[in-house]
Amino acid sequence: MTSFSTANLTTARPLVFDIKRHALEDGPGIRSTVFFKGCPLSCLWCQNPESIDPGPEIGFYPRDCIKCGDCVQTCPVSACALEDPFLIDRERCTRCGDCVEACPGRALRLIGRFYPVDELVDILLRDKIFYEVSGGGVTFSGGEPTLFMDYTSAVLKVLKDSGIHTAIQTNGFFAWEEFGEKILPYVDLIMFDVKLADAGKHREYTGQSNKPILTNLKNLLAERAEAVLPRIPLIPEFTATVENLRSISDLLKGLGVKKCSLLPYNPTWISKAENFGKNVDPRLSRHLLTPQELKKYRDIFSWSELVTF
Amino acid sequence: MVTIDDLSLKDVTLDRLPRLKRLRELHFATRPEICVELPRNITSYMKHLDNPADSPELRAGKLYKYVMENKRPVIADENLLAGTTTARTIGVVLYPDFMALSIWPELETVSRRKKNPFGITREEIKELNFDIFPYWPDHTVQEVAKRDNGNPLCQRIMERIVFYIATKVYCISHTVPNYAMVVERGLLDILREARERELSLGGSKEARAKKDFYQAVQLSLSGVISYAANLSREAERLAAKEVDTKRRQELLEMAEVCKRVPAGRPRTFREALNAIWICKIALHQENANVALSLGRLDQVLYPFYAEDIKRGLTLAEAVELIGCFWLKIADHVPLSPETGEELFGGSGSNQAVTLGGVDMQGEDAVNDLTYAMLKATELLRLRDPNVNARYYPEVSKKEYLDRLCEVNINTGATPCFHNDASAVEVLTGQGVSLEHARDYSSVGCVEPSSSGRTYGHTGCILMNLTSALEMALWGGKHRLTEDEQIGPKTKPAVAMTSFGEFKKALETQLGWLIDQVVTLNNNLGRAHQEIHPTPMLSALMEGCMEKGKDVIYGGATYNSSGAAMIGLADVVDSVTAIQEFVFDKKKFTMAEMISAINANWSVPYKKLQAMVKASPEKFGTDSRMARANADWLIGFLHDTFQSKENYRGGKYTVGYWTMTNHAGFGALTGALPSGRMKNEPFASGITPVSGSAPVLTSCLNFVARLDHTRIADGHALNLKYTPSTTTLPRFANTIEAFFKMGGLQVQFNIIDRKTLEDARKYPEKYPDLFVRVSGYTAYFKDLNPHMQQEIITRAEYDLVTGEEQKYG
Repeated sequence: MTSFSTANLTTARPLVFDIKRHALEDGPGIRSTVFFKGCPLSCLWCQNPESIDPGPEIGFYPRDCIKCGDCVQTCPVSACALEDPFLIDRERCTRCGDCVEACPGRALRLIGRFYPVDELVDILLRDKIFYEVSGGGVTFSGGEPTLFMDYTSAVLKVLKDSGIHTAIQTNGFFAWEEFGEKILPYVDLIMFDVKLADAGKHREYTGQSNKPILTNLKNLLAERAEAVLPRIPLIPEFTATVENLRSISDLLKGLGVKKCSLLPYNPTWISKAENFGKNVDPRLSRHLLTPQELKKYRDIFSWSELVTF
Repeated sequence: MVTIDDLSLKDVTLDRLPRLKRLRELHFATRPEICVELPRNITSYMKHLDNPADSPELRAGKLYKYVMENKRPVIADENLLAGTTTARTIGVVLYPDFMALSIWPELETVSRRKKNPFGITREEIKELNFDIFPYWPDHTVQEVAKRDNGNPLCQRIMERIVFYIATKVYCISHTVPNYAMVVERGLLDILREARERELSLGGSKEARAKKDFYQAVQLSLSGVISYAANLSREAERLAAKEVDTKRRQELLEMAEVCKRVPAGRPRTFREALNAIWICKIALHQENANVALSLGRLDQVLYPFYAEDIKRGLTLAEAVELIGCFWLKIADHVPLSPETGEELFGGSGSNQAVTLGGVDMQGEDAVNDLTYAMLKATELLRLRDPNVNARYYPEVSKKEYLDRLCEVNINTGATPCFHNDASAVEVLTGQGVSLEHARDYSSVGCVEPSSSGRTYGHTGCILMNLTSALEMALWGGKHRLTEDEQIGPKTKPAVAMTSFGEFKKALETQLGWLIDQVVTLNNNLGRAHQEIHPTPMLSALMEGCMEKGKDVIYGGATYNSSGAAMIGLADVVDSVTAIQEFVFDKKKFTMAEMISAINANWSVPYKKLQAMVKASPEKFGTDSRMARANADWLIGFLHDTFQSKENYRGGKYTVGYWTMTNHAGFGALTGALPSGRMKNEPFASGITPVSGSAPVLTSCLNFVARLDHTRIADGHALNLKYTPSTTTLPRFANTIEAFFKMGGLQVQFNIIDRKTLEDARKYPEKYPDLFVRVSGYTAYFKDLNPHMQQEIITRAEYDLVTGEEQKYG
């Protein structure tokens, strides 16, 4: 498992792996969501597996492949094979991007691109009227947007100047001081993930301890409680256990939280992960939660307003 | 004014309005039948009574007096309104001087053809064969125009079908008559005015022509009044025989209504509706009904509705009367011979009703009747009338937009949405006064037109833009007409060295095509002036009475002609592909591009096709290149058409709506540089090519930011939303945003692909499934296979993800 210091990315040129427009589930109203590449955590269930590694990757989109074989001809290390299903040998692949250049139908795409601030802002402002009519705005997600404090801060500032509602989705694993200075003044909503109450399990399943995360949450609530929305992903067998959810519930209640979001598990990410050549832990469920399960989990949080977008 | 609380009128259901329910069932169970009454009357008048020495106006006036006086009063069902377009339950009207002859070779088979068969009896076939049709071959608009102009090139080009269609050969009715005049004054008052004006004139030659016009108005209106009187007598006769007391009472009331209107001013909502309906029938005898539109009925009828509500009319009764009117409007279908059916069929007669919006002072004009009319639309789910809703961002109320969306969700296909702010700008840009512009309504598909003042024949030209693209590629030749030099000889594309050179060639070919089609439309307009003035329509059009002129000579306050362009997105994408791959990136040569499309993108060219199709430089995306090309093309077409004058002294305007023609022209057209394969339908209206505009907000952005003042004949943006994702406020938000960015018009099918595919396979399961085509609605089962395919593959957006759904 890769582990890296967050400090060296603060000033880095972040790669964006997607800008999702007309996003309805990443905050209120119609939004554009910017997904950064790079995350200090590596949760087993990560729904955006292409978002963990901060470097560029090769993505394959089978519906656009006409099986011409140009990628096979082009690849300098013979990592492409025109088999069914199409294969990229991820061990061999050096991510040089030659195959992407060669692919006529854009079935192979380089995932992760740097956008100069002006360009990103230009794209985000294109849908300003959609934000206005719907009470929406822009959300930064990932990956982890707080990995790139300077860049995120710069974009956030311009958006705030343009009167746009801003939000971030964070795993909470960031340096508090810097966050308070560079991000906090420019966001209207912070969706803050709380995954596991138990420190040991947190480390086991996400690769990092939850200590700094919980400290950040406390600080944040003390400073801007109205802007914070804790979010709990419901991953069967991992986070969605009665024991874990009760602990989180007690914790949040104790911190004076009034509202939070439960994020029901959606297994459709698994095929996407496989397109990126990621190994999927066999313990992960391939089913949606049943209404009964959902109700059971919601009941644990009956003291709180449960926000859905 | 809105006084009702429940805008959805939830208590008003079809079960509680059994009359409407039964009439609706009857409508869907009835096969249309050809009716020979009108051609019989016209032919016998022309053979025996017409005086060719009279002026064209006078001949027309006398003819329509005769036609109306001899029209049979038919009261066949339990509809509360009297009068029928034909003598049949659902009739097909034949206009002998327009296109009736096209059905002549098919009289024996028309009742048995697979798509849209029409009933006809042996006697009728015989009568058409021997008594009616033989008179007409030299007397149609088409033949007169041909003869008068020595069979000109422009008319021969139309016979090649793939370049353009000039619709004056079969109608001129894309307009909104002034029905306000009918209910505010009554026909007798109009007749009296014509009489007074006639008597006040001297004996000069000019005065003589005006006198003839005024006489024609009087003659034809007196015919309409006679028809109403005949209806009244018929209702009385039936009442006398009727045993059911309730029905007898209805018939007696009907007799009273027809005694009063349309001659006099109506006193009740029912009388006002019936007055308009009888006038509509009359106008329809005079002119083929292709988009003879009804205008702002919720405004025109509101005073009568409000008075009646005070007197105790219930909302349910009002909805029932409106429903009766809607069903009346659907009492006929247009004629189409089999070849036409193959390419362009499935269309209704596309009579637009316009609801809501602002009044002449710019204030919110939505009232209770708007909601009652929406309710009738929602309950009946009929192809006709084509319901158009006006919305003015910031002025109209949010709950009104929500209700429009709700009706669209519940019906799947109606109403369509017009942006008042942009439409008013469009019209004032064409010289319409601000007040008159605010009083616009939609004609036919989508064309904004000042109500009752504009004779705009907004659908006179349907031009296939890709035919000009072909000629630009092949130096003035077209693949379908092979070696024949059609357009001017421009440099063959393979020899071109710059993108500018290619654009220049396309401009030359487009300019030439526009010259041809405008010449043809003007020739046909003059043929109409010669043999087909329309005094009844002129009597109901502002301006004609003052000028003493028929609409066909320019009598209306505003005169224009509208040309619809087909294949916009396909041409923009093709031009952009040539710019990007041939000239900018030089990925392949023009010769390779031409070989590829000649080979219909077959195997050796699959990679090129994948490259072209995968490019994000497309109409309907954020592409700057595609936007620049769209702006250039729209600008060129607008400027060129605006520089031409029509036969009435008006200007030509350009629109982007296509009815079913994008499928018809597409079926005749070879592969295109955009990656489109041979025979595939073009994208409809101003809609991006399916699969090319994957992001909803980008798509709406792109179209909204086109210069709508150069789209003065309206546009249809046809989108499809996945039903399971289409909820309020998501749906309403997309419309609000589109309009705030300047979008002119947008319309939706709320239906998924699976349902459409099932309906194609099992049409019997979906007898009343109706869909938005491009500007109007049609029953899915009636559409030809090309058109069905286009609707099935049309871009469908998921409103949760905002992305185009990916199928297959």
